[in-house]
Amino acid sequence: MKRRDVLKTAGIAGILTAGQFPLIKGVFAQDRYGKYRGTTLVLSIPAHSQYDAMTKLIPEFTAETGIKVELDKLAIPRMKDKQLLEMAKPQGDYDLASYVVMWKSEYVKKNLIVELEPYFKNPALADPNYDMGDIVKGYLENLGLVGGRKGYLPGPNAKLYGLPYGAETSVLAYRKDIFEKHGLKPPTDYTEFQKLLAPIKAKEGIGALTSRGQAGHQCVHAWLLHLNPLGGEVFDENWNLTFNKQQGIDALTFLKEVVDTGPVGIPAFGQGEMNNTFLQGQAAMYLDSTLIMGIVNDTSKSKIAGKVGYALHPKGVKHASQSGGLGLCIPRNAKNKEAAFLMMQWLTSKAQDIKVVQAGGGPTRMSTINNADILKQFPDFAVLKDALKYVDPDWRPIIAEWDEINIQALGVGVSEALTGKKTPKQALDDLVPKITGIMQKGGYLKA
Amino acid sequence: MRHARSTPWIFIAPAALLMAAGCLLPVLAAVRLGFFDWSMGTPWSEAKWVGISAFVDAIKDPAVWRSLWTTLKFAFVSVSIEMVLGIVLALVLERSVRGTTFFRTLFVLPMMIAPIAVGLTWRYLFDSQFGLVNAVLGAFSIAPKGWLADETLAFAAIIISDIWQWTPFVFIMVMAGLAGVDSSVVEAARIDGASTRQIITKVKLPMIAHVLAITLVMRLIDAFRVLEVIYILTFGGPGDSTEVLSLHIYKTAFIGQKLGAASAISVLLLIVVAGLSYMALRLSNPLRDPVAR
Repeated sequence: MKRRDVLKTAGIAGILTAGQFPLIKGVFAQDRYGKYRGTTLVLSIPAHSQYDAMTKLIPEFTAETGIKVELDKLAIPRMKDKQLLEMAKPQGDYDLASYVVMWKSEYVKKNLIVELEPYFKNPALADPNYDMGDIVKGYLENLGLVGGRKGYLPGPNAKLYGLPYGAETSVLAYRKDIFEKHGLKPPTDYTEFQKLLAPIKAKEGIGALTSRGQAGHQCVHAWLLHLNPLGGEVFDENWNLTFNKQQGIDALTFLKEVVDTGPVGIPAFGQGEMNNTFLQGQAAMYLDSTLIMGIVNDTSKSKIAGKVGYALHPKGVKHASQSGGLGLCIPRNAKNKEAAFLMMQWLTSKAQDIKVVQAGGGPTRMSTINNADILKQFPDFAVLKDALKYVDPDWRPIIAEWDEINIQALGVGVSEALTGKKTPKQALDDLVPKITGIMQKGGYLKA
Repeated sequence: MRHARSTPWIFIAPAALLMAAGCLLPVLAAVRLGFFDWSMGTPWSEAKWVGISAFVDAIKDPAVWRSLWTTLKFAFVSVSIEMVLGIVLALVLERSVRGTTFFRTLFVLPMMIAPIAVGLTWRYLFDSQFGLVNAVLGAFSIAPKGWLADETLAFAAIIISDIWQWTPFVFIMVMAGLAGVDSSVVEAARIDGASTRQIITKVKLPMIAHVLAITLVMRLIDAFRVLEVIYILTFGGPGDSTEVLSLHIYKTAFIGQKLGAASAISVLLLIVVAGLSYMALRLSNPLRDPVAR
């Protein structure tokens, strides 16, 4: 499916055509913000490098538009509780909210956020040069669409509820110096990948591959990283449980080997510990979010600046890079929805996408990744560009029940396999009754 | 001067009403919520009446019983050690010797630190790669341990952090109790030839038994409610080996979005804590009529 097809299925094709009407463009472009000058927007944002970079752009936004901005910054795990409380009120404090991809279906199911199409179709608000088709297809589908196939993928009824801002995919980072020293090549598939683990640990005395592993979301994220390329999935098209099929067991067995050959303590690692272990030189490889690209060469955080190379997420039976990260949405009970849309549109525009990357954030648009100056400044984006071809928007089932399945069921079983308490097969099989119950309660399976 | 029989009630009523509003109403609200299926972010009008099914499900749920068992183990081990250490420290520092004030102040510091900060501090200390605990072990050529990555070690880690933070509470309470012991009784025991050990076990500790009982009850209640430190340290893992009941309730409410079910489990927790508190107060109730004691 081509990028523009995706947008059509999302019911937002009209947005693209707005630019074909120069008259509208001429009338509204000049004073799009006039009505909202003096408005103060309140944003709910996470403590995250993308939003740290965004914060640097806000003075320019205020100078250009006259719209003031207040930020409510929280750690990601605490953000959802507060957003739910705020968005359940008749009028909430937040005008614009950042959300983790896994929350999108729940927010839409609870009618807490608004559809964006009416705003993009409003010539008084929409930027005719916005070019929605330039946004990375996998990011837009993964973070923005709700209501299509499976409820969270493109399809006839899919609607756009958010825009990616802080989206990410997976990439393999490796220590060039260690690989050169031992005559190793970065793995291209899982067979090569597995063969590297034990020798690196034995030869170098540090962990081969670092990983997340803490009980709950973290260890499930690590397992999904391997499940998808190995051809597995959590549910099939009819919501039958498939996570405990052979591919699921293989992925968990591989992850257990990563734990055994990795730095000590992976079953307690969150994203921070995983990153630190690699950045402090305690692991030779890293396979996770592309966010690492922004911090590897920051000498205040990294001891391995200049020593890191990147490669595609190794292929299993197929290429399947992670899709995830953060997006921006407008709460239904926001006081200043139109001004919030203007800010969202401004932040995700072509010009600001380049600026946020230069300020330490990640790219959302193909034009940024293809930009010659950006590529000169960030040559590693060449690998990112390739990785984006394989972004799998169905990387995890983003149904409203996913948080519960992810953290309270899979997050316990996968963790038990990583500590060796259960075999991978036993750990996954034991989860079937609990997850079946959740899916039956959610109406996906018959009781 | 004679008072009407209703006079004491009139004076007590405002405080009693405030207590009822502050303590009883939230409990009743939690019990009520247990009869509904309600998710955060949806209007209360959409809450579905489910009768006692949340309570029945909670009782049937093996995860609830596992977390209750983890909580009981955690409370028993940590509170026992805290009581022993707190009493010993208080007895040692009871006497006015050089440096006593310094040590008394030092020992109460952990209690003043916010639980989230305690959790983060211990998470760094127990970090398998860069933590102080493994660095010290390394000095003795002991291989680094994945403290928070192993079920047994993770359980030990949450107990150590709790002991570190809450032994000072026991220490302060016992110090206050010992300060109230009549010195003439101790002196009389000494004149009668009692040894230091006998003075402690036969005179001082029995005389502060009511303080010890209330301290034990307060620590037990707190140990059953502990959440933040474990949330930060292990998030209940590995597996669910450190998932205490309060963390299970948190996950049910805010991750599973089942506030009714979480309330039902909270009521069960309340019953368990009330039962344990009752048993502890039966041992030595400071509120009991002294004549009847």
